[in-house]
Amino acid sequence: MSKNNTSIRDFLYEEPGPKTRTWIRIGTGIALVLLAWLIYAVIDRFNVTGQFREKYWIFFTRWTTWRFLGEGLLTTLRVAVTAGAITFALGFLLMRARLNRHTVIWRISAGIISFTRGVPTLLFVYFFFLVFPKTGIKLTGFWKITLPVAISACGVVAEALRSGVNAVPKGQREAALSLGMTERRSFYRVIFPQAFRFVIPTLIAEMVIVLKDTTFAYIVSCADLMQNAKVLISNYDALVSIYLVVAVIYILINYGLNKLSDSLARRGGTMESRRAKA
Amino acid sequence: MSAQTPVIEMRHVEKYYGDLHVLKDINLSVTKGEVVVIIGPSGSGKSTLCRTINRLETIGSGEILIDGEKIPEEGKKLAQLRSQIGMVFQSFNLFPHRTILDNVTLAPVDVLKRNKKEAQQEALELLKRVGVGDQANKVPAQLSGGQQQRAAIARALAMHPKAMLFDEPTSALDPEMIGEVLNVMTELAAEGMTMLVVTHEMNFARRVASRVIFMEDGAILEEGAPEEFFEHPKTQRAQAFLQSIREH
Repeated sequence: MSKNNTSIRDFLYEEPGPKTRTWIRIGTGIALVLLAWLIYAVIDRFNVTGQFREKYWIFFTRWTTWRFLGEGLLTTLRVAVTAGAITFALGFLLMRARLNRHTVIWRISAGIISFTRGVPTLLFVYFFFLVFPKTGIKLTGFWKITLPVAISACGVVAEALRSGVNAVPKGQREAALSLGMTERRSFYRVIFPQAFRFVIPTLIAEMVIVLKDTTFAYIVSCADLMQNAKVLISNYDALVSIYLVVAVIYILINYGLNKLSDSLARRGGTMESRRAKA
Repeated sequence: MSAQTPVIEMRHVEKYYGDLHVLKDINLSVTKGEVVVIIGPSGSGKSTLCRTINRLETIGSGEILIDGEKIPEEGKKLAQLRSQIGMVFQSFNLFPHRTILDNVTLAPVDVLKRNKKEAQQEALELLKRVGVGDQANKVPAQLSGGQQQRAAIARALAMHPKAMLFDEPTSALDPEMIGEVLNVMTELAAEGMTMLVVTHEMNFARRVASRVIFMEDGAILEEGAPEEFFEHPKTQRAQAFLQSIREH
């Protein structure tokens, strides 16, 4: 850990002394040995069960395989981005209603929030797959996965936004009001911009969940990454290798999202120093 | 009726927090150009009184008039009235996500619909006047407490208020920064600004106040010219309060 880069660990733990350093070294050694053994065991099992055989991997050299997975990935991203936008809009509305002073309005909102947070995404997916079509409204596969994923996440987003709003000091609202702003204007110009900055990391964490929830798309036969992977699996009779590659793709996307969250958080924190230079 | 309508007038104002009687039959008027300083021990209701004037605190009964008109109870009218009364808080309450310049221009542009360029020009002049002109492009966290409070005063002045409320403006400041804020307030008073100041700064009260009001337990106990109040306090409580301050 570099000295000029203070992290949360510096506040949680004190600087280790000589004895602690010895223990850290021993612990690190043991952990490395265990890790090496684990990797070896996995590779060995793969080998023993023949997972490295050419027939499980050869199709990855074909352009069409990647194009097929790419198309799935594109759908996954479209579903995730659309669901993300919808869930943010719904979450924002629910948060506004939840903070409304009228008891009826905030209670209804609180009820919806609890409901969407309590029900598993899969049930929402089944609802849009099995129950909703009975209303006569035809939805494409894209919407049959996008809507339930969005609805499932909106309660969490609402609560995250609300916690951000509550974290803005009371004096901010009072200062805005004392300058002649209406409650509404003070909310949009002063309170919410600060609240939003507070909760960016939480919102991105929720986006990761949205992305993972899109894998339910196979249920409604929407051709996302997971669904296309399943098609490849049945074509090539190669389960482990394909799932492995698909898992890596999901991990990379979510890793990217987390990096984005870190960099946004850091930018918020160092905004002062950046502006100082300007 | 006096010849001149007071800028701020409070008539028989009462306020309760549950069973706690925080404002007891408050009658008070501040005429144009007057500087009224409210002093008294902690918990005497000084701040609450100050905050009722722009309705950041509601009142139980009685009435508060600004320029002879009752304060509206809600909505756009209340916001419009608030825009005419400047307020300076103990904890500054600058908007941390905006630069000092933006802090000062936000309300003139948003609320008064002023031209942005002109608002910025005026803001820079105001900031210069309170001595933080060179900090205009920084964010509040980069300024010292004294600088932040002076910027907050500039922010309030940018609305061209009829009167300014100061709610313990120097109580959160380090001692060496109190002076710079009080200087700005003294200048403002000299320029004829109508001011209501809640403070513990007795020297400021003595030098600048046109009138001193002493509060305790939610009631106004004594009111008078500063020399008179500080030299010959009438009530025993005021005497005891001034005594306890002098001992330090």
